[in-house]
Order: sequence, then structure tokens, then C-alpha cells
Amino acid sequence: MSRVKRWPGWAVLVAVVVIALVIGSVRGSGPQTDDDRVDTITQRLACPECTGESVFESRSPISETIRRQVRALVQQGQYDDDQIVDYIVDDDRFGARALLVPKASGFDSLVWSVPVFAGICAVAGLGVAFRRWRLAADTVPSDDDRELVAAALAREHEQQ
Amino acid sequence: MSDVDVELPVPPGDPGPGDDRAPAKGRTRVAPFIVLAVAVLIAGFFWILVSADKPDSETAYSPLVDRAAPAVTAQTLDGKPFDLQRRKGSWVVLNFFNSTCVPCKTEHPELVDFAAQQKALGSNGVEIYTVVWGNDSDSAVREFFADNGGDWPVLTDPEGSIAVAFAVPKVPETWIIDPDGVVRERIISNTTAQFLTSTISELANA
Repeated sequence: MSRVKRWPGWAVLVAVVVIALVIGSVRGSGPQTDDDRVDTITQRLACPECTGESVFESRSPISETIRRQVRALVQQGQYDDDQIVDYIVDDDRFGARALLVPKASGFDSLVWSVPVFAGICAVAGLGVAFRRWRLAADTVPSDDDRELVAAALAREHEQQ
Repeated sequence: MSDVDVELPVPPGDPGPGDDRAPAKGRTRVAPFIVLAVAVLIAGFFWILVSADKPDSETAYSPLVDRAAPAVTAQTLDGKPFDLQRRKGSWVVLNFFNSTCVPCKTEHPELVDFAAQQKALGSNGVEIYTVVWGNDSDSAVREFFADNGGDWPVLTDPEGSIAVAFAVPKVPETWIIDPDGVVRERIISNTTAQFLTSTISELANA
């Protein structure tokens, strides 16, 4: 009886969670202010003079300079985020080295495809190796092997 | 002392007198020669390093070389407008600088010499401009020029647009732009008056 009384509460809770998840995933979560946009854009740019650091987190002078340029372009209000990133990483300027996540097209796509290809090759190689080992382990014992085992067992019996 | 001949136990790893695993004599003879060869090689590299002529200035690749210079508009420290496009007709040297950068300070007397030489040539002289790169205060730059000389225009770049347009990752860096507004050379690190003069003369006569 108490279970029946409680179930509407659970149903409401589940409904609230589902609705919250749907709203959370569907709602646009893009940057709201110029500062947010500057942060989002600079998180996509790599500091040209550092190793593995984004312009957003780097304190190097060139990263500061790029941040100022990004802020100026954002404040002009004429360009979207992709256009600003493209401007900075244009081949005439800092080029692809200023892109934190390499492009998935053209020559740069090798960065993504080579590791996947290498992984597939490695797994296939392991598969072949395991198969060979299993086949080797499955070999039928020869007469000599049987004699050896029989002799060992006989010795053991004698000792007992 | 006892004259009893005591036979000491042979350690497990130590080859006995009759052991045929004893180190090959050839190996001990070859080892000194290998060491000598490596030492000679290292000495050779060191000699090349020490005797190599240090370049006067170092130029670097840029996709902008031999192409029209980026459009640059700026303000000088004195508040005057500057437009690179309007400098066509003269050779232009753009020097990216920061008053806190030690190599920039070392380079500065060379730029002062170069500017003086070019001033003496009158209207045929090369125009030199400094671009303030990175985070630097106008007052620090003014003070630096007052203390160290240099009366050419200094361009401010508060938004970093000139630095990004030329993709200057660090300073000092110097660019040479010809009278057609085409980028002809990118010089990274320190440069000298002599290098600038000879490079521009070579480019002009090419």
C-alpha cells in the first residue's frame, strides 16, 4: 500500500530529471558575452612559441598579443568565432601551428588517421600472434612426449 | 706466513684460468680505438662549432616575402596617423621592439647608426619605423628612446594587429619592404646597420 502511495513521487522526480537533461542538452550553451567569446576562441588557438599550451592559458607575450587581437576582432562585432580563428591561423600569419586541435581535412587529417590506422594494425597483429600461439599450443603430443610423461608418473608411483 | 697453497674459491661470474669464456683479447685491443674515434669526432664537431662564422643577422622564411605587405594602419607615439600603403615609393624598415627585451636594447645602437646613415641620404634614404610589440607602456618606450637615441616614428600596436598581421612571435624582428610595398626580407633576432644597408642595396640592385 505504501509503495503505491510513494510511486507518484518517484514518477515526478524521474520526469523532472528527464526534462532537466533535455533542456540542458538542447539549450544553446554558446558564449554570452565578449569575454566569453574571447575565452572560447583563444582556447582553440595554440601559443606559437609554447609547447601544448593554448593562447588562453599561456602567459607568453605573443599569446597576450594574440588575445588582444582576438578581443579587438570580437569587439568589432563583424566576425564569428570561426572567421577569427581562421584569420589567426591563416597560412600568411601563424599558420596551422597556431591551431590547438589540428584540422580533420587535407594533409592535417593524417594526425587523426595515422594513429587510428596504427591502432588497427597493432590489434590485427596481436590477433594474428595470439592465433599462432594458440595453434602452437594445440599441437598433439608425440610418442616421445607420452613416454616421458609415463616414465615420470611411474617414478612417482615407485617413490610412493 | 704460511706456505700452504690455498686455492681460493672462484666467484660464479669470474672465468677461471682454463675458462674459454675469458674476455677476448681482440676486444680490449679494439676498445681504445673506438674511444679515440669517438673523441676525434666530438673534437671535430666542437672545432666546427667554435670556428663557424656567426652570421651578422639571420633571415627567416615567411609566406609574406615577395608578396604585398599587409595593410597596416596605426598611430605613432606622438598621436600621428600612419598608413603603410602610403609609404610606397620608399624602402621601409619595420622593426618590432619591446623596451623590456634585452636583445632589442643590444640592437638599438645599430638602428640608430642605420637611421643616421639613411638620414644623410635625404629623400633617397630608407624610412625606419619601430613597432611596439607585446605588452609595453608608451611611457617606457618614450623613456627608452629618450635615453638611447632614435628619432624615427614609433608605431603603437595596442590591439596586436600589426604583430599578428606579420606573425611576429618574438622580438627583435625586422622587416624590409620595397618601394612597391612588397615584403622583401624578414630578419629574426638582432640585426646590424651594415647588414641592413648591404641587404637593401642588394635587393635594390637585383
